[in-house]
Amino acid sequence: MKTRLGSLLALGLALGAALDLSAARKEVNLFGWSEYVPQEVLDLFKEETGITVNYETYASNEEMLSKLLGGAGDYDLVQPSEYVVESLVKAGKLAEIDFANVPNIRNINPAYLHRPHDPEQKYSVPYMVGAISIVVNTERVKEPVTGFTDVFSGRYAGRIVSLNDNRELLTWALQTLGRDFNAVTPENIAAARPLLEKWLPQVKIFDSDSPKTKLLNGDVDIGIVWPGEAAILHREDKKFACILPVEGSHVTIDSLVIPQEAPHKAEAEAFINFILRPEISVLISRAFPYTNPNSEACKLLTPEELANPASFPKGVETLPTFKAIGKAAAQVDKLITDLKSGS
Amino acid sequence: MSAPRASTDNSAGAQRAPRTIGWLLLTPLLLWLALFVVVPTAILFVYSFCQRDELGQVVFAFTPTNYARILDPVYLGILGRSLWYAALTTTLCLVIGYPVAYFIGRSPPARRSTLLLLVMIPFWISFLLRTYAWLSLLKGDGLVSALLHGMHLLAGPLDVLYSPTAVILGLVYTYLPFMILPIFTSAEKLDNSMVEAALDLGAGPVRAFTQVIIPLTRPGIFAGVLLVFVPSIGMFAVTDLMGGAKVPMIGNVIQNQFGQARDWPFGAALGISFLALFAITFWFLHDRGEARR
Repeated sequence: MKTRLGSLLALGLALGAALDLSAARKEVNLFGWSEYVPQEVLDLFKEETGITVNYETYASNEEMLSKLLGGAGDYDLVQPSEYVVESLVKAGKLAEIDFANVPNIRNINPAYLHRPHDPEQKYSVPYMVGAISIVVNTERVKEPVTGFTDVFSGRYAGRIVSLNDNRELLTWALQTLGRDFNAVTPENIAAARPLLEKWLPQVKIFDSDSPKTKLLNGDVDIGIVWPGEAAILHREDKKFACILPVEGSHVTIDSLVIPQEAPHKAEAEAFINFILRPEISVLISRAFPYTNPNSEACKLLTPEELANPASFPKGVETLPTFKAIGKAAAQVDKLITDLKSGS
Repeated sequence: MSAPRASTDNSAGAQRAPRTIGWLLLTPLLLWLALFVVVPTAILFVYSFCQRDELGQVVFAFTPTNYARILDPVYLGILGRSLWYAALTTTLCLVIGYPVAYFIGRSPPARRSTLLLLVMIPFWISFLLRTYAWLSLLKGDGLVSALLHGMHLLAGPLDVLYSPTAVILGLVYTYLPFMILPIFTSAEKLDNSMVEAALDLGAGPVRAFTQVIIPLTRPGIFAGVLLVFVPSIGMFAVTDLMGGAKVPMIGNVIQNQFGQARDWPFGAALGISFLALFAITFWFLHDRGEARR
C-alpha cells in the first residue's frame, strides 16, 4: 500500500512538472493553407527562438473562416487571401501588427503593399502571391492558346480541367467580356451567363484540390489551375506551358494576419519577421514555387527558378485583386449550380 | 435464469414500463441521442430561419426566405435528379445484391461466414481511399482500359470516368453491402420447409420465388432499400470525385452552402427539408410494409 501511495505521489509530481513545462513552453499557433509552409522553416524558427510552431491547416478560405469565427483554436497567425483580409478587417477581427517588431517588411516588393484590402498596411503582411494560370500540355495541344477564349473555343471540349470555384469561373467570364470582375451585380451576372453556359459543358473535371494530378495523369490536356500548381507542373515537365490569359487575370495575395484575440501576439510577430528574411523566404519559394513578393529573396533564386512562367508571370505585380463580395456570393453560387445542372 | 421464467418475463415485459435499472442502462443511449441528434437538429432548425451577414456569420433575425429559395426550379430540379439517381442506385443494388444475399444466406454455415467476411472487408478500408482506387482503375490509361484493350473489347480510350455512369457505378459500389447484409439476415432465417411446401403444392420455381421467398424476405428488402436509398440521395463525395463535380446533386448543394457559399442558414433549410423528406419516405414505406403484412 505504501509503495503504491508513493508511486502515485511521484506520478502527481511528474504531472505537475509537465504542466509547469507546458506553461513555460513558448509557442505560436499557425493556421495556414495545406502545403504552403515547409516544415524546415518551422524547425529553423524553433531552433533559433525556442518557439514551437503548431501548424494546423485548411484547404479553403471558407473552411478557415468557419473555424476562426466559430471560436475554435487559439490561433495566433492565419493566412487568408486578400478579399478575406478585407472582410476580416471590416468586421474588426484582426489585430494591428506592430511593425516595429517586423522590420523585415522592407524586403517586400512595395507593389504588394497598401493594396485595397489593407490600404494603410496595418493588419497584414504578404506571404505568397500568384495569378491564375492556364496550363497547356504542348505534346497534345499544338495550336497556340493565349486565353480563355481559346481554351473554350469548343476544340478542346472534354479535355479541360477547371478549378471548382464559383467566383473564379464568373471572374474569367467577366474578364473575357471586358467587365469589372469585382462588380458582382445582377447585371454582370446576367451578362456572364450565356458565355458560361457555353463554357461549362466543355469542362471534363472541376477540381480545386489537386487539378494538377489530372494534367499529370493525362486525363485532360488543358487546365485552369492555381498558380503554385501550374509552377509545379512546369517544373516537373517542360511540356506543360503556363500562360497568363490575354483577357486579363487577377493576383491573389495570401497574407499573414494576427487575429484580435491571439494569445501569443509577440511570438506571431517574431515569426512573421523571421520568414521575411531573404534566406528563409527563399526556402519557402523552393518548396512551393508561388510568386514570392519578397524582392530580396528573389535575388537568391536561380535564373531557372525565376524563368518559371507560372512562378513569375510578366506584370503579375500590377494585376488587380479580388474585393470582398459579401452576400452576392449566394447569387454566384446559384448561377453556377444552375448552369452545371443544365449541362 | 431458467428458460420458462425468462419467457414469461418477456411476454409481460412488452407492456411493463422499464424499471430503474432499465432506465439506467438506457441513459447512455438517450444522452447520445439527445446530444448528437436532437440538439444538432434543433440548432439546424433555428439556423434555417436566420440570415447571414457579409462575412457569412449567422445572424439571428427571423426570415422565411431560405425555405422560399428551395422552391426555386434550380434546386427542385437538382432534388429531382438526386431522387432519380438514388432510385436507380437502389434498383441496381437490389438486382445485384439480392441473389448474392440469398446465396450467402443459403450456404452452409462455415462458408457463410467466409462469404460474409468478403462482403464486409471493404469497410475496413477508408471510403475515400476506395473511391480513389476507382479513379486509378477507370482512368484513360488505367487497368480496366488496358484489360479491355488486351481482350480487344474496346478500340478507343475508356471514357467512363467523370460521367454520370461513373457516379452511378460509385454509388452502387459504395452502398451494395448495405443492401446485401439486411437481405442476408432475412434469407438466413428463411424456413426451407416453406419453399418445399410451395413446390409440393404445385408451385413452379418462379411462383415459389415471387409468392413465398420474396414475401418472407420482405423485411430485409425493406431495410436494404431504406439503407441504400436515403444516404445515396445526399451523397456528395462520389459526385465530386468520380463525376468531376460536373452535375451537382442535392448533397453537393448543401455542402456548398457550408463551404464556398458560406450560407449556413440556406444550407440548414435544405437540410431540414431533406430530413422532412426522409421522414415522409420512411413513414410511407413503413406504412405500406405494415399494410401488406
